[in-house]
Amino acid sequence: MTAAIAIGWPTVAVLVRRAGNELVRVPGAAIPGVLAPTIFYLGLTAVFGNLTQLPGFDADSYQSFIIPVSLLQGAGFTGAATGVNLARDIEQGWFDRLLASPAPRPALLAGLVASAALRSLVPATVLLIVAFAVGAHWPGLLGLGIALFAVMATGTVAALWGCTLALRFRTQSAAPLMQAGMFILVLMTPSYAPQELLQGWLQTVAEINPVSQVLEMARQGFVPGDVTWAETWPGLVALVGLFVVLGAFALRGMRRMAD
Amino acid sequence: MAAIEVRGLEREFEGGIKAVCGVDLEVAEGEIYAFLGPNGAGKTTTVRMLTTLLRPTAGSASVAGYDVVSDAGRVREQIGVALQEAALDPLMTGRELILLQATLHRLSRADGKRRAEELLERVDLQDAADRRVGTYSGGMRRRLDLASALVHEPRVLFLDEPTTGLDPVSRKAIWSEVAHLNREGATVFLTTQYLEEADQLANRVGIIAGGLIVAEGTPAQLKAEVGRPHVEIAIHDGEVDRAREVVARLGKPLPPKDGLVLLELEGGATQIAPVVRALDEAGLTVESLDLVEPSLDDVFVAKTGRHLEADEAGAEEAGAAAEA
Amino acid sequence: MNRLVDNARVVAALGRRSVRQTFRRPQLMAPIIIFPSLLLAVQTGGAGRAVDLPAFPEVNGFLDFMLAGAMIQSCMLAGNSGGIALAVDIEMGFTDRLLAAPISRFAIVLGRLAGTAALGAFSAVYYVAIGLIFGAQIEEGILGVLLMITFVTLAAVAFGGIGAAIALRSGSASVVQGLFPLVFVIMFLSSAFFPADLMLQPASAIADYNPISFIVEGVRDPVISTVTGEGAWQAFASILGIGVASLGLSSLALRHRLRTGG
Repeated sequence: MTAAIAIGWPTVAVLVRRAGNELVRVPGAAIPGVLAPTIFYLGLTAVFGNLTQLPGFDADSYQSFIIPVSLLQGAGFTGAATGVNLARDIEQGWFDRLLASPAPRPALLAGLVASAALRSLVPATVLLIVAFAVGAHWPGLLGLGIALFAVMATGTVAALWGCTLALRFRTQSAAPLMQAGMFILVLMTPSYAPQELLQGWLQTVAEINPVSQVLEMARQGFVPGDVTWAETWPGLVALVGLFVVLGAFALRGMRRMAD
Repeated sequence: MAAIEVRGLEREFEGGIKAVCGVDLEVAEGEIYAFLGPNGAGKTTTVRMLTTLLRPTAGSASVAGYDVVSDAGRVREQIGVALQEAALDPLMTGRELILLQATLHRLSRADGKRRAEELLERVDLQDAADRRVGTYSGGMRRRLDLASALVHEPRVLFLDEPTTGLDPVSRKAIWSEVAHLNREGATVFLTTQYLEEADQLANRVGIIAGGLIVAEGTPAQLKAEVGRPHVEIAIHDGEVDRAREVVARLGKPLPPKDGLVLLELEGGATQIAPVVRALDEAGLTVESLDLVEPSLDDVFVAKTGRHLEADEAGAEEAGAAAEA
Repeated sequence: MNRLVDNARVVAALGRRSVRQTFRRPQLMAPIIIFPSLLLAVQTGGAGRAVDLPAFPEVNGFLDFMLAGAMIQSCMLAGNSGGIALAVDIEMGFTDRLLAAPISRFAIVLGRLAGTAALGAFSAVYYVAIGLIFGAQIEEGILGVLLMITFVTLAAVAFGGIGAAIALRSGSASVVQGLFPLVFVIMFLSSAFFPADLMLQPASAIADYNPISFIVEGVRDPVISTVTGEGAWQAFASILGIGVASLGLSSLALRHRLRTGG
């Protein structure tokens, strides 16, 4: 598999470049996806901002507390959009062109997914600019670096999810499932409030949801306290686990295209 | 070694739908083989199996000496593919598309650029090369599709209905290019629902209906199987009976139709002159004379009981009704 | 009179078609039912402790407070979905087929709105049921439920008119779809998810005057307290105002389309 990817690097590069076309050549189409996380961020801050008054809420600024939620949602949307684009390419026959070529399947998948990792930095950048403008804490370079890494990794994982569904259903009608899936996964975490203040079923789900670890990893720099390895490694493990599982599903889906 | 070898190829879909029911064929290297049949006959499904996009549910096939299932990767290195939908990315330019295809086939950047220039000139798209594909006409898209299938100089070229939806001028341009490619040594497997396309281009034709090959051979062989050419003669002053007597010794008289004298010619067009001379010597004036050759549609009717062209019209009507 | 009856039959037939379209394509149900339900569940679990904040209204639970917001969000999204469906009909040429028929022009819009109203009523019943199953208590009982359903159904028509106006003017499904985030902006700037007094400024000030807040409060009152004349009147007036404006815009957009052919 490593050899296949090594041979396929030019393929990965050319597919990443192609994926960038949509952003560069039809920028208007990308605007909703780029702005949506920022809109949600401002909305959630405005609506739930006073939750910080609750005893046990260990952050003084809701603007800062909720940043990682919107960052990961933006990454989720971008990744889901990769799946929607793949579904469109399959429906329109473009993907057959790639499948009929000798490019290794892992390289084709890597090309699709790598573009999502890069593109998810676009909504993240817009969000961070707006967040700092409305008074969110500066997380420090390490905190910022970890947050952006979490964004790219989540974009990759979301793209694998989107591609798995695209390869399974082969139709753009599966788009809501791709988008809603990521959206809800990110919300079923200590998104609105710290873990201890969650209620009922959500408290249990948030505890076992691997994305909660990714969220806490990304949140470190924005809330009081230091950025530590203890708060970072669970998020890394969660990302690796999601990458391996969803990557396997996506590759299997790719191989099953001929079935 | 045959370029394409197929034995008992089958493909069954969910719900028990058998699109291909046991196809056997062989295509020699350097041959143009046309798969002729109406919509739903199994042409595209067969092509998709031969180009490794679909796995057969039974039987076997090899392309350029490699098995399409166990050696699919090798097959893809040898083939060029232009599928039924000229599936092109509207946001890419023509040049970018060919370069992408070059990369997928592991050409170096320099080689890719060189091939792109050559191919764009060859299909007469050099002026539009840096325009987005979304601005191209249907004919231009097909030519680009064909060019991108050739970037790695494939041994075997698969063309799935390459001229469907094109105007006559664009169609002729594609035919000319396919013939040119074949002269350069490429084996071409093309599917079509157009009789004229199969007649004009193919060395051999396989007629497929209901997932099975019902007839196979050169166009001339197939047509000869179902009949010989005949002439339809309109005689001035309506002396049909006398004209029939005169020409009876030159061929096989057929029942008259609409006041016309019909005569089957064993020797084909070469016997027209003697027929005209005989009528002239008998003082009969020929108003019109048409030589009618059996067509591949006649072959299709003989084998399936239906017209290929009526099926096309019926399919178009059904498609239009479904859209409404 | 005959003409009125004929038009009513056309509106009903087109309304039935638009309801059938939604139920036959599950992905069209996602924005109306699935998405707001998931959001309701997550927000109730995530921000539920908000009831402990001083100045939070007296409620049996956060779900009781949130239910109205979910219902109004659902019918706003239903209006957007209806607009998308109308735009797809325009793109596909189906609207031309209707225009070529001897029916009232505006029946085409009313038919779409009838379908949206039916979906609004359906979603209202759905959310009441969900609320009751998960422990909400509706203080005003059956009459309260009927009032909620009435407000939500009328609101769906009003919001549907906006979607229809944009669809008729633009003729493009992707333009209507692009308004999806706007629904959330409007909801965030209202008291749909949180009491206006407890929101941050300037959102709090905007929410005080946002007509969506009045509609949400009108639907919320029967759940968490009693229906007041003032609350009900404000909700009704807001729905009426939006409805008149949106139907007016639809009519203008339709006339523009008929005049220019696009």
